[in-house]
Amino acid sequence: MQGNALVTFDGVIKRFGNFTAVQKLDLEIHKGEFLAIMGSSGCGKTTTLRMLAGLEAPSEGEIRLGGKPINDLPTWKRDTPMVWQSLALFPFLNVIENVEFALKMRGVGATERRRRAGNWLERMQISEFSERNISQLSGGQRQRVALARSLVVEPEILLLDEPLSALDAHLKVRMQSVLQNLQRELGITFVYVTHSQSEAFAMADRVVIMSKGVVEQVGSAQEIYRAPRTRFVAEFLGSSNIFAGKVASDGTLETATGKYRLPRDVRGNASKSAATLVVLDTRSYLSAAEPGPEFDRVKAKVVGEEFTGAMAKIYLETADGSEIRVQSGYDELADLPMSTGQELYVYWRPEDGHVLPIA
Amino acid sequence: MNDFNRNRFVEFGLRFYILLSFAFVFAPIAASFVFSFNSDRFPSIPLGTFSTEWYVAVATDPLVWEGLRNTLFVGLFVAVVSTILGFGAAYTDFRYRFSGKSAYLALALLPPTIPVVILGLAMLAFLSRINLSGQSISVIIAHIVICAPFAMAITRLRLSQMDPDLEAAAWNLGASEWSAMRHVIIPFASPAIFGALFITMAVSFDEFAVAWFVSGLNETLPVKVLGFLQGQVSPRINVIGTFVFVISMTLVIFAQLLLTGRTMDARAASDD
Amino acid sequence: MRRSISLYGLTFSLPMLIWQLVFFVAPLVFLIALSFWTVKNFKMEPDFDTVNWVTMYGRSVFWQSYGLTLALATAAAVITSILAFPCSFAIAFKLSPKYRQWAIFLMVIPFFTSYLVRVYSWQIFLSDNGIINGLFAQVGMGPFPLLNTVFATMIGYLTLTFPLVVLLQLFSLIFIDRTLIEAAHNLRCGRIRTVFAVVIPSARVGLVIAALFCFILSFGDFVSPVYLGGGDPTTLSILITDTTKSGQQWPRAAVIALTMIATLLAVAFAAVGFAYKGRTK
Repeated sequence: MQGNALVTFDGVIKRFGNFTAVQKLDLEIHKGEFLAIMGSSGCGKTTTLRMLAGLEAPSEGEIRLGGKPINDLPTWKRDTPMVWQSLALFPFLNVIENVEFALKMRGVGATERRRRAGNWLERMQISEFSERNISQLSGGQRQRVALARSLVVEPEILLLDEPLSALDAHLKVRMQSVLQNLQRELGITFVYVTHSQSEAFAMADRVVIMSKGVVEQVGSAQEIYRAPRTRFVAEFLGSSNIFAGKVASDGTLETATGKYRLPRDVRGNASKSAATLVVLDTRSYLSAAEPGPEFDRVKAKVVGEEFTGAMAKIYLETADGSEIRVQSGYDELADLPMSTGQELYVYWRPEDGHVLPIA
Repeated sequence: MNDFNRNRFVEFGLRFYILLSFAFVFAPIAASFVFSFNSDRFPSIPLGTFSTEWYVAVATDPLVWEGLRNTLFVGLFVAVVSTILGFGAAYTDFRYRFSGKSAYLALALLPPTIPVVILGLAMLAFLSRINLSGQSISVIIAHIVICAPFAMAITRLRLSQMDPDLEAAAWNLGASEWSAMRHVIIPFASPAIFGALFITMAVSFDEFAVAWFVSGLNETLPVKVLGFLQGQVSPRINVIGTFVFVISMTLVIFAQLLLTGRTMDARAASDD
Repeated sequence: MRRSISLYGLTFSLPMLIWQLVFFVAPLVFLIALSFWTVKNFKMEPDFDTVNWVTMYGRSVFWQSYGLTLALATAAAVITSILAFPCSFAIAFKLSPKYRQWAIFLMVIPFFTSYLVRVYSWQIFLSDNGIINGLFAQVGMGPFPLLNTVFATMIGYLTLTFPLVVLLQLFSLIFIDRTLIEAAHNLRCGRIRTVFAVVIPSARVGLVIAALFCFILSFGDFVSPVYLGGGDPTTLSILITDTTKSGQQWPRAAVIALTMIATLLAVAFAAVGFAYKGRTK
């Protein structure tokens, strides 16, 4: 892995006065990967990106780009172009002048500049707007200008700070595929900051989940989805039911709502301490009658339901007030009494459970 | 902000430049204050002894008192009428849309941008044509032309902080336009109305050029100062300057307190 | 919005309209008529005679004043803008919001101190035995003639316009989207270059308007050229006050005033046009 690292965060800490935005970050970003940094607002994801761009200085630790420390390099001496959430296109320059900007700063001659900028406009399919003002462009077109402006210098890495958040849902999906294709064709590293799980999971090779300045988990979308590492991740993804309790002597989990079997692989070595079991809502089922002994179950009352296309999401509440979700096809729900307050069994196979490595 | 894309010397240099700028702006104000207490007739370095003789000279000059009386009389009138006109125009802009509105607004806001000599000449010629020149009333008329735009701007700013639905809500609850004005708009705008009163009075208090053109024998205090300037060096100018400065600043600070204090109250109240 | 004409609405709209039509527009329009009147035996008579225009425009003194005033006001606009920019830049970008608030407050104060008194105060600084030459004398230099020079006039113009120019520049600089500056840095644009490549173009409208106001104020000011510049050479505003205050040559003064207004309008249109050049809505 060592030779593969383009960027290394080595014990990086960032404080703003009394507030610590990033706490002791160790992270490697690989050459040519699409890395998403995800978290809710204030989690330190944008600060991390801005430190990499050279817009904030780390309070402690070292950031290396291509093996060289860049802590003291001002942003205009790094090749870490960024795409802003606001896009930050220069309103007093037209489209092609915006794209030419970075080349001009590098002292590239006028004709060469125009040619290279023109190429990028063509590549982004916005050549026809080259003389337009920024204010005359649509959201999607601006997005393309911002990308062209950053990529025209052919960098090794591109930083993106929630660039799609201003677009409507339909355009968002289209721009996602534009970004993904671009990253594959160019083979360069994309670091993409977002609060949107769907964007991160749809595009990224690896996802970093941050909370309160700490990295909670790094991994592929699959890994994170199947095996969240911490309770925060499980809750943040919002796709699992979470049961916290104590491991009893017989290897089951004792919780406020009942006793559950732990999955086979951890059953043997589970210590007698606290543990947290998570079960995906797609692997949880509903029934009115008591399910068979091969399942674990909990009784819960229906609170509400939400229909999303092919699937329905049912929200329930257990006796101790914790929320349970079940995601299911309509067919399976057809025969169930679903009025609010109705008590049902939620059940799952013990082997579908996952115990958090960190309780 | 980012703290390391900065250069210590540049930072220091720029901050120092701010200080220099303020030094330039306040040097004449400070000097006038200092020299008003200086015993020497001709201002020079080093200073003479501390003395209030020039204050006594000013205080016992009946012409100065007359000028002050004129100034206050003019100022009060100007403040009241300008504020009324300005409020009306601000409300018009706030509430109505009509063709020719931009011309209306230009008319309501443009006068302060016309050079005072031109305004002074035009006023003098026009007012003497309708037999209104050379009186206090002519200064009042001219000052209202200049001051009403300030009142308009201040009130408009305040109204722009108001939810436009507030008035409609009052109508909806059965208030007529007039009573909505009385019970909703005016209470909301009242800090700006008082602010405008003080600011317009301060502007009138300092204005000398137009007043000089149209005042005739009813000179206001600043016009007197202009007269002193034309005479010879006199520390009395410093005294009057210090006096006018104190009065104007008092008015401005009152206005500031009204404008910001009430706004903060309103904000605090709307926050919870 | 609702009914367009009502007694209620007119009560608020009309006073300002009427007042400014009668006492602002009418006097300016009257100035046009006045410029065609004639003066006989020290008495003005309504007339339609171009004699005033012909006389004034035929005088080389007038054109000299015109050229001088134009040059002085242009110089004031350029010099004040250049001197004010580092100050407003520093206030906008280098001060915390709290200190910025204070700086703005301090910059407003001069508007409420008598301009006349400040000009008189500059006389104290600049005269041959004034403060500055007093300081020079301490080190055995001078006295340098400072008062009654173009330099002193410029000091006066700066006194009149510097705070306003700083404030106007400041308000356009504060509203620059900070991410634009970061984006420029990010695209390899260094510190000083960013000021010229991004900050100034972004604030162009405000900077031009500030310079325009400086031009207008300096162009019409008669206090600084008289009491600091010594009244010689004569500017247009001095010409107006002289022509008006001594004798009954108001029609000629009107010619000068109208010429000034025309010039100011032309400059204002050119400046605003330049400020918004290349912008579409």
